[in-house]
Amino acid sequence: MSEVIVRDVEKIKKEIVIERLRQAPPNIKISFGMSNGEFMERDELIKNVNEGTDIGKNIIEMHISYLQAFKTGLISGG
Amino acid sequence: MVCVLFSRPNHDTQMSYLHYYSKELLELSKLKGYKTINKEEKNAKRSVIISIIKKQKPKFIFFNGHGSPNLICGQNNEIIISSKNPEILSESITYSLSCSSALNLGRMAVERGAISFIGYKFDFALGKDPEREAVPSKDKIARLFLEPSNLLVSSMLKGNSTLEALNKSKKMMKDNVLYLSTTDDFQDARYYAPYLYGNYLGLTLHGDKKALIQ
Repeated sequence: MSEVIVRDVEKIKKEIVIERLRQAPPNIKISFGMSNGEFMERDELIKNVNEGTDIGKNIIEMHISYLQAFKTGLISGG
Repeated sequence: MVCVLFSRPNHDTQMSYLHYYSKELLELSKLKGYKTINKEEKNAKRSVIISIIKKQKPKFIFFNGHGSPNLICGQNNEIIISSKNPEILSESITYSLSCSSALNLGRMAVERGAISFIGYKFDFALGKDPEREAVPSKDKIARLFLEPSNLLVSSMLKGNSTLEALNKSKKMMKDNVLYLSTTDDFQDARYYAPYLYGNYLGLTLHGDKKALIQ
Protein backbone atom coordinates (compact mmCIF):
# COMPACT_ATOMS: atom_id res chain seq x y z
CA MET A 1 0.00 0.00 0.00
CA SER A 2 1.41 3.39 -0.89
CA GLU A 3 2.34 5.90 1.77
CA VAL A 4 -0.46 8.23 0.64
CA ILE A 5 -3.11 5.52 0.96
CA VAL A 6 -1.82 4.48 4.40
CA ARG A 7 -1.98 8.12 5.52
CA ASP A 8 -5.53 8.44 4.20
CA VAL A 9 -6.61 5.22 5.94
CA GLU A 10 -5.15 6.44 9.24
CA LYS A 11 -6.93 9.77 8.81
CA ILE A 12 -10.25 8.03 8.13
CA LYS A 13 -9.80 5.76 11.16
CA LYS A 14 -9.15 8.81 13.33
CA GLU A 15 -12.26 10.58 12.01
CA ILE A 16 -14.41 7.50 12.60
CA VAL A 17 -13.20 7.16 16.19
CA ILE A 18 -13.63 10.86 16.97
CA GLU A 19 -17.18 10.72 15.64
CA ARG A 20 -17.90 7.65 17.78
CA LEU A 21 -16.44 9.36 20.84
CA ARG A 22 -18.57 12.46 20.22
CA GLN A 23 -21.69 10.31 20.47
CA ALA A 24 -20.70 9.16 23.98
CA PRO A 25 -21.94 11.02 27.07
CA PRO A 26 -19.51 13.68 28.31
CA ASN A 27 -19.03 11.99 31.66
CA ILE A 28 -17.92 8.55 30.40
CA LYS A 29 -14.99 7.41 32.58
CA ILE A 30 -12.09 5.38 31.21
CA SER A 31 -8.60 4.93 32.55
CA PHE A 32 -5.52 3.50 30.92
CA GLY A 33 -2.15 2.79 32.46
CA MET A 34 -0.75 5.75 30.63
CA SER A 35 -3.34 8.05 32.20
CA ASN A 36 -1.50 7.88 35.55
CA GLY A 37 -4.22 5.93 37.27
CA GLU A 38 -6.86 8.61 36.83
CA PHE A 39 -10.02 8.39 34.76
CA MET A 40 -10.56 10.44 31.61
CA GLU A 41 -13.86 11.79 30.37
CA ARG A 42 -15.07 12.04 26.78
CA ASP A 43 -13.46 15.34 25.86
CA GLU A 44 -10.09 14.23 27.17
CA LEU A 45 -10.35 11.01 25.15
CA ILE A 46 -11.12 13.08 22.03
CA LYS A 47 -8.23 15.45 22.78
CA ASN A 48 -5.81 12.53 22.99
CA VAL A 49 -7.03 11.12 19.67
CA ASN A 50 -6.85 14.54 18.01
CA GLU A 51 -3.34 15.17 19.26
CA GLY A 52 -2.10 11.71 18.32
CA THR A 53 -0.78 10.86 21.78
CA ASP A 54 0.07 7.26 22.71
CA ILE A 55 -3.26 7.07 24.57
CA GLY A 56 -5.01 8.45 21.48
CA LYS A 57 -3.38 5.84 19.23
CA ASN A 58 -4.44 3.18 21.71
CA ILE A 59 -8.04 4.44 21.66
CA ILE A 60 -8.13 4.34 17.85
CA GLU A 61 -6.74 0.79 17.83
CA MET A 62 -9.35 -0.39 20.37
CA HIS A 63 -12.30 1.16 18.52
CA ILE A 64 -11.25 -0.04 15.07
CA SER A 65 -10.50 -3.57 16.33
CA TYR A 66 -13.89 -3.61 18.02
CA LEU A 67 -15.71 -2.57 14.83
CA GLN A 68 -13.79 -5.16 12.82
CA ALA A 69 -14.69 -7.83 15.39
CA PHE A 70 -18.37 -7.14 14.88
CA LYS A 71 -17.91 -7.31 11.12
CA THR A 72 -16.24 -10.72 11.34
CA GLY A 73 -18.77 -12.04 13.87
CA LEU A 74 -16.11 -12.57 16.52
CA ILE A 75 -18.03 -10.76 19.23
CA SER A 76 -21.49 -11.93 18.25
CA GLY A 77 -20.17 -15.49 18.32
CA GLY A 78 -20.93 -16.02 14.66
CA MET B 1 2.69 -25.85 51.38
CA VAL B 2 2.36 -24.06 48.05
CA CYS B 3 2.85 -20.32 48.42
CA VAL B 4 0.82 -17.65 46.64
CA LEU B 5 1.90 -13.99 46.70
CA PHE B 6 -0.31 -10.97 46.10
CA SER B 7 1.13 -7.49 45.47
CA ARG B 8 -1.69 -4.92 45.82
CA PRO B 9 -0.75 -1.25 45.70
CA ASN B 10 -3.41 1.34 46.40
CA HIS B 11 -2.32 4.88 45.62
CA ASP B 12 -4.64 6.24 42.90
CA THR B 13 -8.20 5.76 41.69
CA GLN B 14 -7.42 2.94 39.26
CA MET B 15 -5.35 1.08 41.85
CA SER B 16 -8.12 1.48 44.43
CA TYR B 17 -10.44 -0.46 42.11
CA LEU B 18 -7.89 -3.21 41.48
CA HIS B 19 -7.16 -3.36 45.22
CA TYR B 20 -10.84 -3.70 46.09
CA TYR B 21 -11.65 -6.35 43.48
CA SER B 22 -8.65 -8.54 44.33
CA LYS B 23 -9.62 -8.81 47.99
CA GLU B 24 -11.95 -11.76 47.37
CA LEU B 25 -9.08 -13.64 45.72
CA LEU B 26 -7.10 -13.51 48.95
CA GLU B 27 -9.97 -15.21 50.74
CA LEU B 28 -10.24 -17.87 48.04
CA SER B 29 -6.50 -18.52 48.16
CA LYS B 30 -6.65 -19.09 51.91
CA LEU B 31 -9.75 -21.26 51.56
CA LYS B 32 -7.96 -23.44 49.03
CA GLY B 33 -5.18 -24.04 51.53
CA TYR B 34 -2.37 -22.06 49.95
CA LYS B 35 0.14 -20.21 52.06
CA THR B 36 -1.21 -16.80 51.11
CA ILE B 37 1.01 -13.74 51.43
CA ASN B 38 -0.71 -10.40 50.90
CA LYS B 39 1.46 -7.33 50.51
CA GLU B 40 -0.69 -4.26 50.03
CA GLU B 41 -0.38 -0.49 49.95
CA LYS B 42 2.91 0.63 51.54
CA ASN B 43 4.09 -2.99 51.75
CA ALA B 44 3.63 -3.53 48.02
CA LYS B 45 7.14 -2.24 47.47
CA ARG B 46 10.21 -3.56 45.76
CA SER B 47 12.32 -4.53 48.77
CA VAL B 48 9.48 -6.44 50.41
CA ILE B 49 8.24 -8.23 47.29
CA ILE B 50 11.69 -9.22 46.06
CA SER B 51 12.65 -10.52 49.50
CA ILE B 52 9.51 -12.67 49.71
CA ILE B 53 10.03 -14.09 46.23
CA LYS B 54 13.61 -15.05 47.09
CA LYS B 55 12.77 -16.57 50.48
CA GLN B 56 9.33 -18.10 49.94
CA LYS B 57 9.57 -18.98 46.24
CA PRO B 58 5.84 -18.52 45.58
CA LYS B 59 4.43 -20.80 42.90
CA PHE B 60 1.92 -18.12 41.88
CA ILE B 61 2.46 -14.36 41.95
CA PHE B 62 -0.34 -11.87 41.30
CA PHE B 63 0.67 -8.29 40.63
CA ASN B 64 -1.74 -5.40 40.60
CA GLY B 65 0.02 -2.25 39.50
CA HIS B 66 0.95 0.09 36.76
CA GLY B 67 3.21 -1.26 34.09
CA SER B 68 4.78 -0.85 30.71
CA PRO B 69 6.34 -3.26 28.21
CA ASN B 70 9.38 -3.59 30.46
CA LEU B 71 8.03 -2.83 33.95
CA ILE B 72 5.72 -3.92 36.75
CA CYS B 73 5.26 -1.39 39.54
CA GLY B 74 4.09 -1.39 43.12
CA GLN B 75 2.99 1.27 45.58
CA ASN B 76 3.56 4.82 44.29
CA ASN B 77 4.76 3.33 41.00
CA GLU B 78 8.01 2.02 42.45
CA ILE B 79 9.49 -0.43 39.94
CA ILE B 80 9.40 -4.00 41.27
CA ILE B 81 10.18 -6.07 38.17
CA SER B 82 11.91 -4.74 35.08
CA SER B 83 13.96 -5.98 32.17
CA LYS B 84 16.92 -5.85 34.59
CA ASN B 85 15.58 -8.58 36.91
CA PRO B 86 13.05 -10.82 35.08
CA GLU B 87 14.86 -13.90 36.40
CA ILE B 88 13.32 -13.14 39.81
CA LEU B 89 10.13 -14.69 38.41
CA SER B 90 11.83 -18.00 37.60
CA GLU B 91 10.02 -21.11 38.84
CA SER B 92 6.83 -19.08 39.26
CA ILE B 93 3.58 -18.58 37.41
CA THR B 94 2.90 -14.84 37.25
CA TYR B 95 -0.27 -12.96 36.45
CA SER B 96 0.29 -9.25 36.01
CA LEU B 97 -2.80 -7.05 36.01
CA SER B 98 -0.86 -4.12 34.63
CA CYS B 99 -0.40 -2.41 31.32
CA SER B 100 1.68 -3.91 28.54
CA SER B 101 3.98 -6.05 30.70
CA ALA B 102 3.28 -9.14 28.58
CA LEU B 103 4.73 -7.41 25.56
CA ASN B 104 8.42 -7.71 26.52
CA LEU B 105 8.82 -8.44 30.21
CA GLY B 106 6.63 -11.55 30.24
CA ARG B 107 8.49 -13.07 27.32
CA MET B 108 11.84 -12.21 28.92
CA ALA B 109 10.78 -13.74 32.24
CA VAL B 110 9.90 -17.02 30.55
CA GLU B 111 13.19 -17.00 28.67
CA ARG B 112 14.93 -16.62 32.06
CA GLY B 113 13.12 -19.51 33.72
CA ALA B 114 9.60 -18.42 34.65
CA ILE B 115 7.09 -21.26 34.26
CA SER B 116 4.40 -19.02 32.76
CA PHE B 117 3.59 -15.34 32.52
CA ILE B 118 0.06 -14.07 31.91
CA GLY B 119 -0.49 -10.38 31.29
CA TYR B 120 -1.55 -7.75 28.81
CA LYS B 121 0.24 -6.79 25.61
CA PHE B 122 -1.54 -3.43 25.49
CA ASP B 123 -2.71 -0.86 28.00
CA PHE B 124 -5.22 -2.37 30.43
CA ALA B 125 -8.36 -0.24 30.21
CA LEU B 126 -10.83 0.20 33.05
CA GLY B 127 -14.28 1.72 32.73
CA LYS B 128 -16.08 3.30 35.65
CA ASP B 129 -19.65 4.28 36.34
CA PRO B 130 -19.66 8.09 36.58
CA GLU B 131 -22.52 7.89 39.06
CA ARG B 132 -20.50 5.73 41.47
CA GLU B 133 -17.52 7.88 42.19
CA ALA B 134 -14.94 5.91 44.16
CA VAL B 135 -17.42 3.23 45.23
CA PRO B 136 -15.98 0.13 43.54
CA SER B 137 -18.44 -2.24 45.20
CA LYS B 138 -21.43 -0.60 43.49
CA ASP B 139 -19.79 0.10 40.15
CA LYS B 140 -21.54 -2.07 37.58
CA ILE B 141 -19.23 -1.01 34.76
CA ALA B 142 -15.94 -1.60 36.58
CA ARG B 143 -17.23 -5.03 37.57
CA LEU B 144 -17.59 -6.01 33.91
CA PHE B 145 -13.94 -5.05 33.33
CA LEU B 146 -12.49 -6.66 36.46
CA GLU B 147 -14.49 -9.86 36.96
CA PRO B 148 -12.81 -11.56 33.96
CA SER B 149 -9.46 -10.83 35.57
CA ASN B 150 -10.67 -12.28 38.86
CA LEU B 151 -11.99 -15.34 37.03
CA LEU B 152 -8.52 -15.96 35.63
CA VAL B 153 -6.97 -15.96 39.10
CA SER B 154 -9.78 -17.90 40.77
CA SER B 155 -9.59 -20.54 38.03
CA MET B 156 -5.88 -20.94 38.67
CA LEU B 157 -6.45 -21.18 42.43
CA LYS B 158 -9.11 -23.86 41.83
CA GLY B 159 -6.70 -26.04 39.88
CA ASN B 160 -7.15 -25.01 36.26
CA SER B 161 -4.13 -24.78 34.00
CA THR B 162 -2.80 -21.45 32.78
CA LEU B 163 -4.41 -21.92 29.36
CA GLU B 164 -7.75 -23.03 30.81
CA ALA B 165 -7.76 -19.99 33.10
CA LEU B 166 -6.85 -17.68 30.23
CA ASN B 167 -9.59 -19.08 28.02
CA LYS B 168 -12.23 -18.74 30.75
CA SER B 169 -11.21 -15.14 31.32
CA LYS B 170 -11.27 -14.33 27.61
CA LYS B 171 -14.68 -15.92 27.21
CA MET B 172 -16.08 -13.79 30.03
CA MET B 173 -14.51 -10.69 28.49
CA LYS B 174 -16.12 -11.47 25.15
CA ASP B 175 -19.50 -12.14 26.80
CA ASN B 176 -19.20 -8.84 28.70
CA VAL B 177 -18.30 -6.98 25.51
CA LEU B 178 -21.41 -8.37 23.84
CA TYR B 179 -23.50 -7.49 26.90
CA LEU B 180 -22.18 -3.92 26.96
CA SER B 181 -22.81 -3.61 23.23
CA THR B 182 -26.42 -4.73 23.33
CA THR B 183 -27.91 -4.23 26.78
CA ASP B 184 -30.65 -1.82 27.68
CA ASP B 185 -30.07 -2.49 31.39
CA PHE B 186 -28.27 0.79 31.80
CA GLN B 187 -27.66 3.84 29.69
CA ASP B 188 -24.41 4.40 27.84
CA ALA B 189 -23.14 0.83 28.31
CA ARG B 190 -22.18 0.47 24.66
CA TYR B 191 -19.66 3.29 24.83
CA TYR B 192 -17.48 1.21 27.17
CA ALA B 193 -17.41 -1.92 24.99
CA PRO B 194 -14.41 -1.07 22.73
CA TYR B 195 -12.13 -0.63 25.75
CA LEU B 196 -13.01 -4.01 27.24
CA TYR B 197 -12.48 -5.51 23.81
CA GLY B 198 -8.97 -4.03 23.90
CA ASN B 199 -8.32 -5.95 27.14
CA TYR B 200 -9.59 -9.12 25.46
CA LEU B 201 -7.15 -8.68 22.59
CA GLY B 202 -4.28 -7.86 24.92
CA LEU B 203 -4.55 -10.74 27.39
CA THR B 204 -1.64 -13.07 26.63
CA LEU B 205 0.04 -16.19 27.98
CA HIS B 206 3.77 -16.87 27.69
CA GLY B 207 5.39 -20.12 28.70
CA ASP B 208 3.82 -23.37 29.88
CA LYS B 209 0.15 -23.60 28.85
CA LYS B 210 -0.49 -26.58 31.10
CA ALA B 211 1.10 -25.18 34.25
CA LEU B 212 -0.81 -25.56 37.51
CA ILE B 213 -0.42 -23.85 40.87
CA GLN B 214 -0.61 -27.14 42.77
